[in-house]
Amino acid sequence: MVFSGIPFLNYFLPCAILLYLLSPRPLKNTALLVSSLVFYAWGEPLYLYLIVSVIAINYVLALLIERYRGGVMAKVFMLLSVAVCLCTLGYFKYADFFVENFNRITGLSVGLLNVSLPIGISFYTFQVLSYIIDVYRGDVAAQKNPVNLATYVALFPQLIAGPIVRYADIERQLVKRTHSFLQIADGIRRFVIGLSKKVLIANTLGELCEAFYISDEKSVAFYWLYIVAYMLQVYFDFSGYSDMAIGLGKLFGFEFLENFNYPFIAKSVTEFWRRWHISLGSWFRDYVYIPMGGNRVGAVRMLFNIFTVWFLTGFWHGAEWNFVVWGIYFGVLLTIEKLFLGKYIKRSAAIGHIYTVIVISVSFAIFGAGSMSDAWESVVCMFGAGGLPFVTGATVYNSKSFAVVLIVAAVAATPLPKLLLQKMLKNNVFKKAWDVLEIVVLVSMVVLTTAYLVDGSFNPFLYFRF
Amino acid sequence: MNVRTKSVVTTIVFAALLLVGFVMCVTKPSDLFSESERRELASFPQFSVESMISGEFTDGFEKYATERFPYRDTFRSIKAGFNTKVFRKLDNNGLFVAQGHISKIDDAANPKMMEYAAEKFSFLYNSYLKDSNTNVYFSIIPDKNFLLAKSSGYPSMDYDKFISDMRGKTEYMNYIDVTDLLGLDDYYTTDTHWRQEKIVDIAERIGDKMGVDVKATYEQAKLKKPFYGVYFGQLAMDFAPDEIVYLTNDVLKNCAVTYYDTGVPKAGEMYNMEKAEGKDPYEMFLSGTTPLVTIENPQAKTERELVIFRDSFGSSIAPLFAEGYKKVTLVDIRYIQSSFVGNLVDFEGKDVLFLYSTTLLNNSMAMR
Repeated sequence: MVFSGIPFLNYFLPCAILLYLLSPRPLKNTALLVSSLVFYAWGEPLYLYLIVSVIAINYVLALLIERYRGGVMAKVFMLLSVAVCLCTLGYFKYADFFVENFNRITGLSVGLLNVSLPIGISFYTFQVLSYIIDVYRGDVAAQKNPVNLATYVALFPQLIAGPIVRYADIERQLVKRTHSFLQIADGIRRFVIGLSKKVLIANTLGELCEAFYISDEKSVAFYWLYIVAYMLQVYFDFSGYSDMAIGLGKLFGFEFLENFNYPFIAKSVTEFWRRWHISLGSWFRDYVYIPMGGNRVGAVRMLFNIFTVWFLTGFWHGAEWNFVVWGIYFGVLLTIEKLFLGKYIKRSAAIGHIYTVIVISVSFAIFGAGSMSDAWESVVCMFGAGGLPFVTGATVYNSKSFAVVLIVAAVAATPLPKLLLQKMLKNNVFKKAWDVLEIVVLVSMVVLTTAYLVDGSFNPFLYFRF
Repeated sequence: MNVRTKSVVTTIVFAALLLVGFVMCVTKPSDLFSESERRELASFPQFSVESMISGEFTDGFEKYATERFPYRDTFRSIKAGFNTKVFRKLDNNGLFVAQGHISKIDDAANPKMMEYAAEKFSFLYNSYLKDSNTNVYFSIIPDKNFLLAKSSGYPSMDYDKFISDMRGKTEYMNYIDVTDLLGLDDYYTTDTHWRQEKIVDIAERIGDKMGVDVKATYEQAKLKKPFYGVYFGQLAMDFAPDEIVYLTNDVLKNCAVTYYDTGVPKAGEMYNMEKAEGKDPYEMFLSGTTPLVTIENPQAKTERELVIFRDSFGSSIAPLFAEGYKKVTLVDIRYIQSSFVGNLVDFEGKDVLFLYSTTLLNNSMAMR
């Protein structure tokens, strides 16, 4: 079940809210947990055992780590937990990738396992890892109440597509949280904006990407049109989902950290990654890069650390070589920026921005490809070396047909609308009008998104399987 | 309004919205049949442990919840309006409006489908026609995008190549070109089909090429019910309906029409008025989808007979051949096995016409 679907919006969510409201305060987490498990089972009934097992095992291991804190056994239990999480992820997400590559190298034909990927496994295993490591480090206390821990791991607003919420960030909220109309209204606002980003913009841009995939009339310009549309689609899809998650969290009294901060206004790749999928970047920084020594080591070791992190970041996104190359590509760019380019691009915001947009475009061509050969073909064709005409009829038609939505998406991907609204709100007359107008706008957005969903338009969710 | 009041109002409005949405979805799903889309919508899926585990139930429920949403048509109209008026998209779900017509983008020729259709024709020719002293003809009817898409700035198939390729695969047939006679007005504005009252010249051209005079004088009759074609419902926007005009004269009135839907002959009407009142009024022409139908003209001045292998475009033009033949037999191999046709139709000494639209030739999987 995805947030941007009629079953969630018109069946599950009203029931989950009602159950939560009717539950007495001590049972609110139980109510949330029940809803979350139903939510998970709806999409993946067979793998319910998996998430429950991961929670149960790590609940016990965290308690053991705390009990043996400071001793060797604490480290053993921590490593055991890390092994459980990584082996689970490795088996369900990467097993066939390793088998395929083993077969390719050795010429053997070991049978594939054909294991389907459990929804949200990349997110919830990382959440559990952060919890366990934080308990081991003594940053947080082990959760004694299994319901609270299960609620943290399985909490449906962030279960299947993040953001990767750290236990430390909601530890107190799990035990004691307040609910206010202010927070609920803020959550509603955030959820509706996220839903609109996903359904109205990302899905419409997805139609352009689909038109590109099936077109027999590709051209250099069509490749660029596709890449721009794809970049914006992924951004509105994923940031829209994060907005919905944050909004839903607020409805139930939780405050999740931001996951996106206008990444396309970045003036360097380094800045881009401070603004894009923040929860993943900070996870790798805090649980991989810094423990490896970060940049407080020699140059060679630092390079090794950087490339390890970016290899893992790419690999986290998918068990395909193009994701690995995508990650390493960023490792190379970040290293170049760190070593010498950074100081040059800082001198001119325009140059920095143009450079960033171009290299990020190339990264999306790699990211969106089905394989390494497709990725290579995309990059080659983008730069006119694919023997394609510069423009075709299909390019012109799709440019015209999607012009408005592309402009809307490009503007909405910057802070401009927000700044404009803030400026207008300084006018008292507008501010008073906005009090009513905002509710009307939000209701209209709900009606409109419902209309798009009912029409059964294009509704994939790109980060669903990560 | 202070911040707290606004928050309370926002919360109440959305709580009401959620509750009303939930209650309506549970108590008032839309009808099982969508008149505008002319299709049956999803039913509530059967629940069982197996269907839940396999995902069949949840998939079925998601389809049910989306398709049976209350006021489905209103929401579809809102979406279509926003998509085309605000986002300024040139098409909505592939449908577009140009030159007073609704049409659907279909710009990609499908060589596999063309090959499949050609194989079926070849099978029919080799099985029944080659040694039966028949004159075999072939004519392709381009869909209205032939005249509409390119001139309106929409993606268009290369129709010349399409027709040329199909001709190349069916060289054993005498090709009759009618494209020069077609105009945009020959098609309904809200539907894929052509208008019977506008294709008399095409029937005459085909008749002429087959060596038969089908010229006749017709009276026009109009259906009272407005005709909302198949594209109208898919577009989900306001659009003026068409009217169905049908042609008649003494010869047509005296023709005997026999349907073989069940294998057993059953007398029927040339223009089925029951169908005219139904979901797709175009089906009034020879009762729409039917595997085998014959038109016998007792006033015929000739003993010649015609067999037409056809799709739905053939339903409205076939009556116009009655003037020149003693008997016209229509065969639709979407509803009857090609290998079985020989048991029902005698081809010896007859004229045989393959009359197909580009739409069907490009989506020929239904041919059996």
